[in-house]
Amino acid sequence: MALEPTADSPVGRLASLAGSAGAALIGIAQTVGGMGVLFGRIVTRIFAFPPQVDWPELKRNLHKMAVKSLPIVVVTALFTGAIMVIQAAPLVKRYGAEGLLGWGAGFGTLREVAPLLTALMISGRVGANNTAELGTMVVTEQIDALRTLAIDPIAFLIAPRFIGIVVTLFVMTLYADALALFGAAYSGYGLIQVEPQSFYNGLTGGLLHFSDVANGLVKSVVFGLVIALASCHFGLSTTGGAPGVGRSVNATVVASAAGIFVLDYVLSFMLG
Amino acid sequence: MSDATAPSASTHTGFVHDLGGAAIDLFLGGRELYSVFVRTLYYVFRGKREKGAVVAQMYSIGNRSLFFVSITMGFIGMILCYQAGLQSKRVVPDFTMLGPTYLELLVRDLAASLAALMLATRVGAGIAAEIGSMVVTEQVDALRMCAADPIDFLLVPRFLASMVMTTALIVWAATVAFFAGAATAYVAFDVPLRTFCNMQLIDAGDLTIGLSKCVAYGAAIPIVSGYCGLSTFGGSEGVGWATTRAVVNSSLAIIMLNAFISTAGLLIFGTK
Repeated sequence: MALEPTADSPVGRLASLAGSAGAALIGIAQTVGGMGVLFGRIVTRIFAFPPQVDWPELKRNLHKMAVKSLPIVVVTALFTGAIMVIQAAPLVKRYGAEGLLGWGAGFGTLREVAPLLTALMISGRVGANNTAELGTMVVTEQIDALRTLAIDPIAFLIAPRFIGIVVTLFVMTLYADALALFGAAYSGYGLIQVEPQSFYNGLTGGLLHFSDVANGLVKSVVFGLVIALASCHFGLSTTGGAPGVGRSVNATVVASAAGIFVLDYVLSFMLG
Repeated sequence: MSDATAPSASTHTGFVHDLGGAAIDLFLGGRELYSVFVRTLYYVFRGKREKGAVVAQMYSIGNRSLFFVSITMGFIGMILCYQAGLQSKRVVPDFTMLGPTYLELLVRDLAASLAALMLATRVGAGIAAEIGSMVVTEQVDALRMCAADPIDFLLVPRFLASMVMTTALIVWAATVAFFAGAATAYVAFDVPLRTFCNMQLIDAGDLTIGLSKCVAYGAAIPIVSGYCGLSTFGGSEGVGWATTRAVVNSSLAIIMLNAFISTAGLLIFGTK
C-alpha cells in the first residue's frame, strides 16, 4: 500500500490501481495460505494417535452448533420447498406436467438448493458466531492464557469446532433435504392442487437416483470445510478490540459465501 | 421433570416454560423491530438530513459490494444453467427453452433473492458490526446526549442508500448471472447465444414481482441489521453476537419475504 496517487496524472492513477489490485491479490493469497496452514495443523491433531481433540468441548460445540440451529434450518427448508414449487408452478402448468413436479422440485432441491441455502444459514449462524467467540478470546488474551498453561489451543478449541461445523452442516443438510421436500409437497397441494401422492411418485418414479442425494451431501461436506476453516482462521487473526471482532465476523461471512459459491461451481462440474 | 408432585421445587423448568419464553422473546423482538421500522420511515420524511451521508453509505453499500456480488452471481449463473441443462437432458434433449425459462426465473426470483442473500451477509454484517461497535463504545449514547436520534442519524442514510443500491446491484447481478449462464450453455450444451437470449417469456407480472422483491429486500436488510446492531450489549462478544444475529435474521427475512411475495405474485398474476 506504499503507492499513493501522486497527482491526477493518468500514470499515478494507473499505478495506484495496480497497487490496490496487487494488494487485494496478496490479501486473498494470505487468507487462503493461512487457512491451508490452519487446516494442516487441525489434521495433524485429528489424525494423531490418540486423537488430540478435546471430547467434552466437541460435545458442547455439537450441541451449541447443531441442536440450537434446528429452528432456523427447519424454517429455511420449509420456505425453500414452498419457493421451489411456486417457481416451478408456471412451468408445470404450461406443459401440463403435474406428474413431473416432484421430480423437478426434488432435483433442484437435493442437488443444489438445500445444500446451498443450509450452508448459507449455517455460515451465518454458526460460522459467524464461532468467529465472534474465537475473536473475543483472542482480543481478551484467553488464547495466550491457554498457551501459558501448556494447553494446545488447536487441540482444545479449534479442532472440536472444526469437526463440529463439518458434522453440523452434513446433518443439517439431511434434515433440510427431507423438510424442503415435505414443504414442497404440501405447498404444491395448496397452491397448484398437485396431490402430495403424485408429488411423491414423481420423486420416487425412477428419474431421481441416490447419486442426486449423494451429490448434495458431498457438497455439504465441502461447504462445511470452507465455513469451518474461514471462521476459525478469521477468528484467530482478530486484532483491535470490539470493532475488530465485528470486522472479523464480516470477513468470515463474506469469505464463506464466496468460497461456497466458487466451490459449488467446481463441484457441480466435477460430480456431473 | 423427574418429580412430578413438586414441580415448584424443581429447578428444571420444562418444555412449556421454554416455549413460552421463546414466544415472548419473539413477540418483544418483533415489536421492537416494528418500532425501528416505523421510526425509520418517520425520519425519512421528517428528519434532518446530514449532507453527504446517504452518498457515503451508497458507496460503502453499493460500490464496495460490486466485486463480491459479481463473483458470486457469475458462479451461481454458471451452476444454475449447468444443472438445468443436465435436468432437461434427462427428459427432453431440447435446449431451445433453456434460455427463456432461465431468464424468466432469474427476473422473477433468483436474481433478486440470491443477490439479496449475498448482500445480507456482506451489507447486513457490516451495518451490525459498525453500529454494534458504536453501541459498546458508547458513541450511540453520546449521540442521544446531543439530542440526535441514532435512528435518524445512523439508520436512515443506510436505509435510503440500501433501497437504491440493492435495486441497482440486483439488476447488475441479473445481467451477470444471465451472461454467465449463456456462456455455460454455449460451452456445455452448444446452445447458440441467439437462441439463449430470448425474452418471450418475460411479461409485466415477472418484472413487477422482481422489482417489488428488490425494494422489499433493500428495505429489510438495513432495518433488521440496524435493529440487531442497536440492541448490542456487552463488549466485543456482544458485537460478534449482534453481527451473527444480523446475518441470520436478515437472511430469514429475505427467505420469508420471498415466499410471501412469490405467493402473492402467483395469486395475482396466475400461472399464465
